[in-house]
Amino acid sequence: MLLLIKYTLLYGIVLMLVALGGMFSEHSGIINIALEGIMVIGGVAGVLTLTMLPSSMSPALVVLISILVAALAGVVYSLLLAFASINLKADQTIGGTALNLLATAIAVVIAKYFSDSGSAKLNYSNKAFLFSIGGLELSVFVPLGIVLLVISYIVLYKTRFGLRLRACGEHPQAADSVGINVYKMRYAGVLISGALGAIGGMAYIVPPVQTWNFEVGVAGAGFLAMAVMIFGQWKPFNICAAAMFFAVFKSLANIADSTFLAQFHWSSNIYNMMPFIASMIILAFTSKNSMAPKAEGIPYDKGSR
Amino acid sequence: MKNNKLSHRVLQSSITSVLAALLCIVIGMAVGFLVLLAINPAHAWGDGFVRILKGGFYDAPYGVGKMLANAAPLVMTGLSVGFAFKTGLFNIGAAGQYTLGAYGALYCAIMLKLPWFVCLLVAAILGGIWGAIPGFFKAYFNINEVITSIMFNWIGLYLVNELVYQNGTGPMYDVRNTRTLNLGKSADYAQSIIPDFGLNKLFQTNSTTIAIFLAAIVAVLIWVVLNKTTFGYELKAVGLNKSAARYAGINEKKNIILSMAIAGALSGFGAGLFYLSNVGQWNPLNSTSLPAMGFNGISVALLASSNPIGTIFSAIFISHISVGGTFLSTKYYPTEIADLISGIIIYLCAFSMLFRGKIQKMLFKNADKTNVNAEPAPAEKANAKKEGK
Amino acid sequence: MAEDFVIEMLHITKEFPGIKANDDITLQLRKGEVHALLGENGAGKSTLMSVLFGLYQPEEGKILKNGKEVAIRNPNDANALGIGMVHQHFKLVECFSVLDNIILGVEPNKLGFLQKAEARKKVMALSEKYGLRVDPDALISDISVGMQQRVEILKMLYRDNEILIFDEPTAVLTPQEIDELMEIMRGFKKEGKSILFITHKLNEIMAVADRCTVLRKGKYMGTVDIKDTTKEELSRMMVGRDVQLQVDKKPAKPGKVVLDVENVTMQSPQHKKDAVRNVSFQVHAGEIVCLAGIEGNGQTEFIYGLTGLEKINGGKIMLDGKDITSESIRQRSKDGMSHIPEDRHKHGLVLDYSLENNIVLQRYWQPEFQKNGFIRSDKVREYSDRLIQQYDVRSGQGSSTIVRSMSGGNQQKAIIAREIDKDPTLLVAVQPTRGLDVGAIEYIHRQIVAERDKGKAVLLVSLELDEVMNLSDRILVMYEGEIVGEFDPKTTTVQELGLYMAGARKQGKGE
Repeated sequence: MLLLIKYTLLYGIVLMLVALGGMFSEHSGIINIALEGIMVIGGVAGVLTLTMLPSSMSPALVVLISILVAALAGVVYSLLLAFASINLKADQTIGGTALNLLATAIAVVIAKYFSDSGSAKLNYSNKAFLFSIGGLELSVFVPLGIVLLVISYIVLYKTRFGLRLRACGEHPQAADSVGINVYKMRYAGVLISGALGAIGGMAYIVPPVQTWNFEVGVAGAGFLAMAVMIFGQWKPFNICAAAMFFAVFKSLANIADSTFLAQFHWSSNIYNMMPFIASMIILAFTSKNSMAPKAEGIPYDKGSR
Repeated sequence: MKNNKLSHRVLQSSITSVLAALLCIVIGMAVGFLVLLAINPAHAWGDGFVRILKGGFYDAPYGVGKMLANAAPLVMTGLSVGFAFKTGLFNIGAAGQYTLGAYGALYCAIMLKLPWFVCLLVAAILGGIWGAIPGFFKAYFNINEVITSIMFNWIGLYLVNELVYQNGTGPMYDVRNTRTLNLGKSADYAQSIIPDFGLNKLFQTNSTTIAIFLAAIVAVLIWVVLNKTTFGYELKAVGLNKSAARYAGINEKKNIILSMAIAGALSGFGAGLFYLSNVGQWNPLNSTSLPAMGFNGISVALLASSNPIGTIFSAIFISHISVGGTFLSTKYYPTEIADLISGIIIYLCAFSMLFRGKIQKMLFKNADKTNVNAEPAPAEKANAKKEGK
Repeated sequence: MAEDFVIEMLHITKEFPGIKANDDITLQLRKGEVHALLGENGAGKSTLMSVLFGLYQPEEGKILKNGKEVAIRNPNDANALGIGMVHQHFKLVECFSVLDNIILGVEPNKLGFLQKAEARKKVMALSEKYGLRVDPDALISDISVGMQQRVEILKMLYRDNEILIFDEPTAVLTPQEIDELMEIMRGFKKEGKSILFITHKLNEIMAVADRCTVLRKGKYMGTVDIKDTTKEELSRMMVGRDVQLQVDKKPAKPGKVVLDVENVTMQSPQHKKDAVRNVSFQVHAGEIVCLAGIEGNGQTEFIYGLTGLEKINGGKIMLDGKDITSESIRQRSKDGMSHIPEDRHKHGLVLDYSLENNIVLQRYWQPEFQKNGFIRSDKVREYSDRLIQQYDVRSGQGSSTIVRSMSGGNQQKAIIAREIDKDPTLLVAVQPTRGLDVGAIEYIHRQIVAERDKGKAVLLVSLELDEVMNLSDRILVMYEGEIVGEFDPKTTTVQELGLYMAGARKQGKGE
C-alpha cells in the first residue's frame, strides 16, 4: 500500500505539474500540445546539468541549479511555440506536434553527444532529490509540486496577471479593447507552461531511476497531462485531483507483480493502457459541459477585431 | 476563357505551394548543417551534409531500393494525414492506426498464411477501425480528434504489443530476435509477401517490392475522390464549414467518422506495405515509442500541402534524407540528425501559409488584374490527365 | 478656432488592403453635446471610431484634444485622454463576473494582488448615480443583453471617461429600452460629458442628437445641426439619392395553408427554461409572415427546429400537407423548403469553396449535377454562370471566385439566388438584409416580394422594425420563446409592437 501511495504521488505530481503548465498556456489562449516535447527537453537539460555538477556540491544546491536549468530550457524551447503561434499565427496543433518530434531528435542528438558510450543513455545520481518520511520515500518534486500548485491557484485567481491572462484566453478582443497586450500575455502563458512542463519532465525522469535512455522520450506522459488538464476543467485543484486519479492506474502497473493483483496475470501492457482508456471514458462523459477557454487555439490578429 | 482563369488560379496556387515547400526544405537543411557543424566541424560537409543530401544514392542501387521501400508506407501515412486535413481533421493518430495495420497484416500473414492482398486489406480495415473511433468521439461527443487520436495511439501500441508478445509466448513472436517472425525466412509465408517483379534484383535488396507503386495508385485514387466526386465534395464541405454542410443536408457526423476511417485505413494499408514487403519486423518490447512512420506522415502531408499527388514526392524526399541519415558514420554523427531536420521542416511547415502568402504576393502581384488572356495554362490540364491515369 | 471642441479628428484617412475605409474625414466634437455619426453599413463609421479609440492607426490626419495634437496608439492612450467606447459587439468576457469585466485593464491592486472591495464600492456608487442597475457578482453569460450594455457603460464611467462613444447601441434593445438609453445619454450631457453616437437610424438621431456628421462610402458628406435639418435630408446625405423607404407592393392574396406549425417546443441548450414554447401558427401561399422580436427570444432556435438543424422536443410541423416533424434537412429541402439562414458565414456559405460550388450547395446531389457519384463540373459551371447573371452576383472571377473574397452583399445575393432558384413552396428568410447597404437591402426586399407574388409562402424573421413593418403581411411577435401577439402592419404601430416585444403586454390565446 505504501508503495502504491509512493508511486501515485511521484507520478501524480509529474502529471499535475505538466497539466498546470498546459493550463496556463490554454488560459492565455494557446493550445500547448508540445508539452510532451517540453518535458523531454526539460529532462535532458536537467539530467545533463546533474551529470556536470561536481559531486562535492551540496545536495540542496544541486537540486536547485538542475531544476532551474531544466525550467530555463523549457522556457527557451516553448519560445519556439510562442513565436510560431503568436507572431506567425501558425496552426498551434501542427506547431506543437513539430516541436514534439523535434524534441526527441534534439534530446537524442544531445545525449549521444555527451554520453561516453555513444548511445542515448545518460547516467546520473538522483540521491539529492530523494528523502523519506516514515518509510515513505519521496522526491523533492512532491513538496515543490504542492507549493507550485498553491502558487498557480493564487496567481490565476487572485492577481491582476491572472485576471488578464484568463481574459486573453476567453475573449482577446475584449482584453485588447481595455488596453491589455494580448501578445505579451500569451507569451507569458506559454513560457510559464514551458517552465512547468520542463520541471515536470525532470520529475518524470530523475526520481525513479539513475540512468535514462532519451530515445524513449517520456512515453506519452505529456499527452496524458493534457487529458488531466481537460478532466481537471482548467482549474488548479481539480487538475491536482485528476492527476492523482490517473496516477493510481499507472502505479498499479509498477506494483502489480508484488501484490494481490499478480493473480490476474495481467501484463504491464494492460496496466499501461488503463490511464489512457480511463481518460477517454472520462472525456466522453465530461465533454458536454466543457469549461475550455473560448478563444484557445485561435490566433489573435490585431486586425480582426 | 473562364476555364482558363480557373486553371490559372490552380496553377498559381500549386506553384506557390511547391515553392513554399522548397523554402521549408532549404531552411531545414541549413539548420541541419549548422547542427552538423556544431557537433563535429571537421566532417560536417563531406561526411555529414553531403551524405544526407545524397540519401540513398550514396550507396546505389541498394540505398535507392531501401529509400523506395521506406517511401511506400510514408506515402500512405502522408495521404492519411493529408486526407484528414482536407476534410478539416488533424489525424495525429496515424501512428496508432499504423500499429493496428501492422498487427492485421502480420496476423494474416503469419497465423492465417493468407495471400498478400488479403493481408493488406485486413491491415487497412483494422487501421480504419482505429481511425473511426476518434471520429466517433468527435462526431458524437464533440471531443477534439487530436486528443482522442493521441490516446488511441498509446492504447493501440499497448494492445498490439500485448497481442503479439503474450509474455513471450505469442505464436507470432520470435524469442531469439525479440521481433515478430521474419516473413522472408520461411517459404511458408511466401504468398503473403508483396511481389517485387524483379525489383529486389535490380536494387540488390530484399525488401523493394511493388509497394511504392501501390501507394502511388492509392494516391491518385484519393485525388480523384477528393476532387471529382460528390463524396469528396461533401467531405471537404464538412471540413471547411461543418455548420454549412449540415445546413446543406449533409450528414456531418457520418462524414467525420467516414473521413477518419478512411484516413485510418490509409495508415493501416501503409503498415501492410511495410511489413508485407518485409522491410522490418514488429518489436513488441518497445512500449515507449510509437512508430515514427505515423508522425513522419505529418511532415509528408504538410510538405505536400495535403495534395495527394504531391504526397508521393514529399514522401520520397523525407525517405531520401532519413536513409541518408542512416549512412552517416556513427563515429561522427548520430543518425537522428535526419529526424532533427525533418522536425525542423515540419515546424517551418506549420507557418508555410505565411510563406505561401509572401510568395504569392511576390510572384503574382498583378496577375489577377492582367490575367484575362494571359497564360492559357495547358500544362495544368495535361498534368490533370496524367494524374488521372 | 473660437469654438470649444474637446475632440477634433482632422482629415483622417485609413486604408485597408483594397479599400479606403476612411477618406479625408473630419469630425469635431463639442463639449457637452450629443454628436451623431451617421452612415450606412460599410460607410466607415466603425473604422473612424476605432481610429479614435486607438485600435487602428490612420495613414493620414491628426487628432486634437482640447486644441492640442495627441497620439492615440492603443486603447490605453485613449483611456488616458478620457475616451471610452461601448462597442457594437460587446467586449465582455462571458465567464467573468460583472465586476471583473468592469475593472479589467484598470484593476485596483497591491503588488499585483487584486483589491476588489474598493472597486465594488465605486461601481455601486456609479450604478446608483446614473440608474444603471447591475448585479456585480453575476456572470455575464447569465444576464440579459440590456444589462450587458449597462456593464459596458459602467466600464466607461469607472474609468472616469469624459468622451463616450456609443457604437450602434440600439440594435439589441426594445423601443422602450432605447428610450431609456436616450434618457441616460441626456443625463451624461447634463454632467458635461461629450457623446459620439454612431447609428444608421434617423429617428434616434432626431430624438437625441445636437449635431450630426454624415459619411458615405468612406467619404465625409458634411456636418449639420439637427434643429436645421429633416430626416429626408439626412437620408439623402447618407445614401446619395432619394430613398424609397416604403416597399412597393400590392395587397397579398393568401392562398392555401403551406406551413402549419402546432405547439412546437424546444429545450434551450444552456438554460433550464425552454427556448421555444408552444409555438403555433400558419403561413399561407402568397403571403409574407414575419416573426418579430428582440434578439434571443427564441426566433433562432425556432428556425433551427423548423429547418431541421435541431430536433424539436414537442409539437408538429406540416409542410404542404405533409408531416415533416422528424424529416431530415435534406428531405425538407426536397419537400420544397428553402432557407436563407441568419448567419451567412456560419450556415449559408462554405467560404473557402468557389462560388459555383456554393451555388450548388443544396443541389449537387441531383442527377442534373452528378453521375454515378462523379460531379458533372461542366453542368455545375453552366448553372452557376446562369444564376450569377440572372441575379447579378458580382465577383472577381465569376464562378471560380472563392466566396470569402466577395462582398457581404454579393455573398447574400448568391445565397438568395440559390434558395429562390430552387423554386420552393416555402421560403424561410432569416434577417436577410443584416449588415447590408441600402442598395442591396432594396434589391432583396424586391426579390422577397416577387416570390410572394409568385404564390410562395414566405416566413421572414427580422429584428429591424422598419423591415418588419414594410415587408410583412402579418406580424407575429415572439417573446421568451412564445408568440405573444399577432398584428396587421397596416393597423399597428412600432410602439405597440415594442410593448409586446418587451414582454409588457400579451394577447390572449388565439387570434
